[in-house]
Amino acid sequence: MANWVLHSLKRGIRTERYRESEPLPAGTTPGRPKPQRMDESAAAALAECCPTGALQVQSPGIRVDFGRCIHCQRCRGDEGLEWRQDATWATHLEGAQESLGGSFRRALHVRYLDAGACGGCMGEARLIDAPQYNLHRYGIFITSTPRDADLLLVAGPVTEALRRPLLDAYEAMPEPKRVVAMGVCAINGGVFGKSFASCGGAAEVVPVDIVIPGCPPPPRAIIEGLLLAVGRSRSAQAVEAP
Amino acid sequence: MNRFEMLQKEADTLPGVGVEHDAQGRLLFTAVPQAVPELAVWLNERAFEFATLVVEETAPGFHLVHYFFYARESGERITIEAHVGPGVGLPTISDRVHAADWHERETEDLFGVCFTGHPFLGDFVLHDEDWPENIWPMRHDFDPRASHPRGRGLDEDWRPRRLLEEQGALEFPVGPIWGDYGESGLCLLETPGEQIRLAHMRLFYKYRGIEKIAEGEPPDKALLLAERFSGNAAFAHALAFCQAIESIAGVKISERSRRLRVVCAELERMRYHMTVIADLAGSTGLAVGKAMGQELEEELLRLTETTMGHRYLFGLAVPGGLARDLPDAAITRLRTEIPSLMPRIQRFGRWLKVSSSFLDRIEEMGVLSTDDAKLYGVVGPVGRAAGREADLRRGLPYAAYDQFPPDIMVEQEGDGYARLRVFLREIEQSARLILAALGHLPSETVRTDCMAVDGNALGWVEAPAGAAFHWLKLDGDGCITRWRAGTPGFRNWHAFHRTVEGAAFQDFPIILASFGLSVAENDR
Amino acid sequence: MYVAAFIALGIATLLAFIPYPRVRAWLVGTCFVVVSGFVAAAGLMALLGHSWGSTAGPLALLEWLSFGLDPFRGFFLIVTAVVFATAIPLVVHDVMTYTRRRAGAFLTLIALLYAAMLAFFAATSVVSFVFAWEIAALAIWALVTFDYRLKGPVAAGYLTLALSEVGTLAGMAGLFLLAAWSGSLQLHVLGKMGASLSAAPLWAPFLLTFFGFGVKAGIIPVNAWLPEAHGSAPRSVSPILSGATLNLGVFALWIIDGPIATSHPRMALLVLVVGAATALTGIIYALTEHDLKRLLAQSSIENLGIVVAALGAGFAFVALGHPLLGGIALVAGLYHMVNHSVYKTALFLGAGAIDRATGTHDLDRLGGLMHRMPLLATVFLLAALAIAALPPFGGFVSEWLLLESLLRVVQVAAVPVRVTFALSGAMLALTAGLALTCFVMVAGTALLGPARSREAREAGRGVRSASWPMLVLVVLSFGLGVLATGFIPLLGGLVKPLAGADPSAILVPTFFGTGAGLPAGLVGALDTIGAGVGRGLLPLRGLVVLHSGGMATPVVFAMSMGLAALVIGLLLALVWVLVHFGTRRRKVVWRRAWNGGLRVLRPEMNYTATGFAAPVRVLFDTLLRPTVNERDSRQGAFTTGVVYRMQMVNVSNRIFLWPVRHAAEAIAHRLARLHHGTVTLYAAWILAVLLAALVAVKLSL
Ligand code: SF4
Ligand code: SF4
Repeated sequence: MANWVLHSLKRGIRTERYRESEPLPAGTTPGRPKPQRMDESAAAALAECCPTGALQVQSPGIRVDFGRCIHCQRCRGDEGLEWRQDATWATHLEGAQESLGGSFRRALHVRYLDAGACGGCMGEARLIDAPQYNLHRYGIFITSTPRDADLLLVAGPVTEALRRPLLDAYEAMPEPKRVVAMGVCAINGGVFGKSFASCGGAAEVVPVDIVIPGCPPPPRAIIEGLLLAVGRSRSAQAVEAP
Repeated sequence: MNRFEMLQKEADTLPGVGVEHDAQGRLLFTAVPQAVPELAVWLNERAFEFATLVVEETAPGFHLVHYFFYARESGERITIEAHVGPGVGLPTISDRVHAADWHERETEDLFGVCFTGHPFLGDFVLHDEDWPENIWPMRHDFDPRASHPRGRGLDEDWRPRRLLEEQGALEFPVGPIWGDYGESGLCLLETPGEQIRLAHMRLFYKYRGIEKIAEGEPPDKALLLAERFSGNAAFAHALAFCQAIESIAGVKISERSRRLRVVCAELERMRYHMTVIADLAGSTGLAVGKAMGQELEEELLRLTETTMGHRYLFGLAVPGGLARDLPDAAITRLRTEIPSLMPRIQRFGRWLKVSSSFLDRIEEMGVLSTDDAKLYGVVGPVGRAAGREADLRRGLPYAAYDQFPPDIMVEQEGDGYARLRVFLREIEQSARLILAALGHLPSETVRTDCMAVDGNALGWVEAPAGAAFHWLKLDGDGCITRWRAGTPGFRNWHAFHRTVEGAAFQDFPIILASFGLSVAENDR
Repeated sequence: MYVAAFIALGIATLLAFIPYPRVRAWLVGTCFVVVSGFVAAAGLMALLGHSWGSTAGPLALLEWLSFGLDPFRGFFLIVTAVVFATAIPLVVHDVMTYTRRRAGAFLTLIALLYAAMLAFFAATSVVSFVFAWEIAALAIWALVTFDYRLKGPVAAGYLTLALSEVGTLAGMAGLFLLAAWSGSLQLHVLGKMGASLSAAPLWAPFLLTFFGFGVKAGIIPVNAWLPEAHGSAPRSVSPILSGATLNLGVFALWIIDGPIATSHPRMALLVLVVGAATALTGIIYALTEHDLKRLLAQSSIENLGIVVAALGAGFAFVALGHPLLGGIALVAGLYHMVNHSVYKTALFLGAGAIDRATGTHDLDRLGGLMHRMPLLATVFLLAALAIAALPPFGGFVSEWLLLESLLRVVQVAAVPVRVTFALSGAMLALTAGLALTCFVMVAGTALLGPARSREAREAGRGVRSASWPMLVLVVLSFGLGVLATGFIPLLGGLVKPLAGADPSAILVPTFFGTGAGLPAGLVGALDTIGAGVGRGLLPLRGLVVLHSGGMATPVVFAMSMGLAALVIGLLLALVWVLVHFGTRRRKVVWRRAWNGGLRVLRPEMNYTATGFAAPVRVLFDTLLRPTVNERDSRQGAFTTGVVYRMQMVNVSNRIFLWPVRHAAEAIAHRLARLHHGTVTLYAAWILAVLLAALVAVKLSL
């Protein structure tokens, strides 16, 4: 019988300290393109190569709509854009309910709901309680029923068959409640868009308060999003101009 | 006379079947619908595996049905083609070639091609409560972006399928929304309590219709879908997609990119398998084991990100090779990191293998018999753990696998423990392959021009979960007219119910975890 | 009074043939209630000491056909009266749907049964005892098979008749052996015999009477008839069968075997072990049932097993020279019998009413009745709590007393006795746990959740003829719980003649009333556990204790039902207050239950009784030994259907009925020529043999 307790004690604490001022450990985030100043024609060429329209020409350069960027990396490279290795991506939507304050700051119960997510968002959402990130230190817990949840974390473009369950789960939650849409799919349908089989984002079904862009958003970004929901992190911009 | 020619000769004598060699070196059998079942069984008996079923609409109401077969060891490929007109059914083959069961059900739902004699048609991809009858989204006259009539919705009369007749039996639903991180999908367990007698998977809650919305799109757009419909095997599916295009274009890609593709694919496999093992440990309540597994998984993800630019390898595979070359720093990093990670992974595996409380729950649990594995055509590690020597990297080598052939990890027991051992050994194998493929990399371009128009081809990979077949047909502009993603998830979910039948309730999540299945990969 | 009861019963029989159903129902019902009043009054008088013997009285028809009443018999009369009085409304209500002739016959049979039972409890001689017993047995058989057009009841009836006749014959043989030895037909003389004879020759009559009359009490292995009979009897009779007639067996055990076993410890231990085994197998089989009536019948076996075990323990203590401990166990046994009569009548009434409203008593098809019939369901739930032996109901007191008294075996030195007690105690404790599971299952599947079938969905309202009597019974059960300190001295008086000591003094010591003669600290300590609850307010004290070991450390165990009831009441009130005031300021929002995103939660997706009990079934697989028959329909590789049947043969059938039947068949084969008659003919044969035997015995005296 392997003595797991002993093993884990021997290995010590694996949770990584996190300070916004310090650089993230390498590989934590795929990063994302940085809006840049450049001449019109180069900007137009870049905007052209972006398959989702996340890059838009705005003189004097190019701006990025992070809600659309799917990290296809086609704009990356020598003649492309520079990338920023951060993970504070979550954005509080305009007109949405304010953050949950008070006792929620230290005890937040989250219901993760797969509304058609691919393994990317699934995998990253699973890893928020991996040792390196250790979700629980923030007082955030994953619950299995929306009845206990304060926050609904939705991933995936919301397929037609999951439209109703998503709504049911939202309605089953007690007030006050917030909805966080993680991943470009949950924000606007992502590569699947709006079609006969996909609703094109969680906002089509339930009121979304916070979005976490990324395809997929890495665990660090998801945690930032959850912290933002309780007012413990700052909101990033959805669209950044050069 | 080789085996192929002998087959051809023998097949010529079958009634209603025409035989020819097609351009891609495979045998093509053209059959009248009535002759298909006999022919399929005849092939099955000659050790040809059913690969996938592809239907295309040739004209409104007219369909051409392709049945793809391949020989597991020698890699020969055979296709049966049959034309069906409006209102005419095809006789089912799945009562004997059972692997085709779900393929036929899907085709019936999406194209309205009826398979006569199939006992369970309907309510498969398109759930009855969401969709009215007589809507066939894969037909060309269906506009995926338009609005469509919806089904009956909340319906008190809806009844799940019930096959068990027993006093007090109930149909226990698991899902469609699961506790924790389970993927959405409904599993109905027929049980008199405690013991599961029958299980029915009702998936496709996550159906996003990628094959439909890709129609008319250029390949570089559709490639995004191929990567993202099942993100934890993104590279594998993107690779199969790209290989289909390369095959249509007839492009040979550079040696460097062929080898790097092996590196990427194996790195993805390592991470995929690590996820499965971590979840398996978690499902048995081994919290420390799960945490250690996830720690290793996260480290593999970070290694992937720092060397390939994306944690899930999005945006790397392109038709003609790879989107970017790996910088030397990345290659060095891989060469040092992998050998340092491997002992830790091996140690973790050893600990798991001596944890009796853990073994108690996976040993002789969820047994998939070799016969069932064969009947359902189970692929990948799950199939290999049940004694099936199936691995496309060996049988139908692609990329640079002809130079770096993997050993096939086979176990006979077919239980949860056998699957764990296969997953663990395949991680080691992948590490070995990565280091070997990185060994002598020629320096050259990794991206060859690849412009494909007008044609069709099958691309395949051994995805982490098993054999994946992507069939593509492009029109004169190089846009997609039909894409069919035959995934290992689709294959193995089909067989999953066999392993939980007879198990106790509390073993269900463990068996599920030991399969390492992806719903997203099944639902597409 | 006693005679008046018979006269009133006669009148009821005449009224039973009135052609107007409604009038008939009211009149007969009233008449039966009056009868019960008379019976209860007679019983009460006897209980309070107005005993009479009938050798010289008006009922002394013949010298050897004598009747009499004493406190003990009076006690049984009262229990019987309560059961009949509360069960009769449903009977008269239910027969309104019968044709006039059938209704008349049915009510006559019930009156006959009632009369036979009254006679039985008053029988003081072997002859009157056996006659009354036999008439009761025939009446039961006739009632069970009353729906003679249905196959189930008829088969059940035959089984009942066969087993009960075999039992009667065996018991009779035992009785006559004793009578022959003692030279008297008076029961109390027979009893004295037991004490004076050595064990060896007594084993034969003891075993014959114990298992012979034990048939009626449902002891293992002669209880196979009970679930069949009570399960398939007309729904209005089952409460009577289970609540009243099973006590016949207890009575016989007490009157005949009690005096013997109190002198011979081994026999007493046998009673204890058989009782405990009966209880355990009864509850296990109850858990495998999905038919509410059969389940309740199995639970009757379990409860009677507990009673028998308690009597066995009592006998054993007495035989080993611990009359006080024996008295406690005997009190527990009688107490439990009363409790069982009360709540089982209530539950069977509930089952009858549910059957009436839904047309089914299959638990797997019920569900959600709480919404359809709130009053009935609530009292049913309370009765289920009572039978699960939860405080503050009577069942808790009697089971607690029994288990505690079993623990007192530490005062007995002999190791084999200790082991037997320990094993039996373990079996009974397990029984109690399983009983709780079982009735959680019953209440859960029948009353809660969604309706599992159309019948349950469209169930009518509960009938008042069942729900009001049930309410009365539940209140009674509650009373039996909280007023235990008042009830125990009563029973203590009853067990004294047999045990030789009255345990009331140590169970409900008088000093708690005043605290006099006790160290002040002890009084205070006892007060904190509830000794003083109700002091000065209620005539009864709140505490039941077993004390021994003198004044210094008097308390061995203690329990206060008054306090328990109070605490439970307060807790419930607290919950109500918290919910009420806690949610007043917040808005209460009603939402659909979260069902995992399913579109429709179908009734067939809900747990069934069978499903609920599956873990227990798996656990006791070796005992149950189910035979499995699985049939798959296939179409090529597809499975298109699975039929799975599991059959279980009751363990008492396996160890007793089947071997006997095989032997009997072998004999019958040889005697094939005699085998032409009908069942009635056989019954006549048995009566004839009975008479002949009586005459023979009479002549030999
Ligand atoms: S990485 Fe984002 S911004 Fe750049 S091309 Fe892709 S989608 Fe557009
Ligand atoms: S946002 Fe990207 S990673 Fe997330 S579900 Fe959508 S495609 Fe997958």
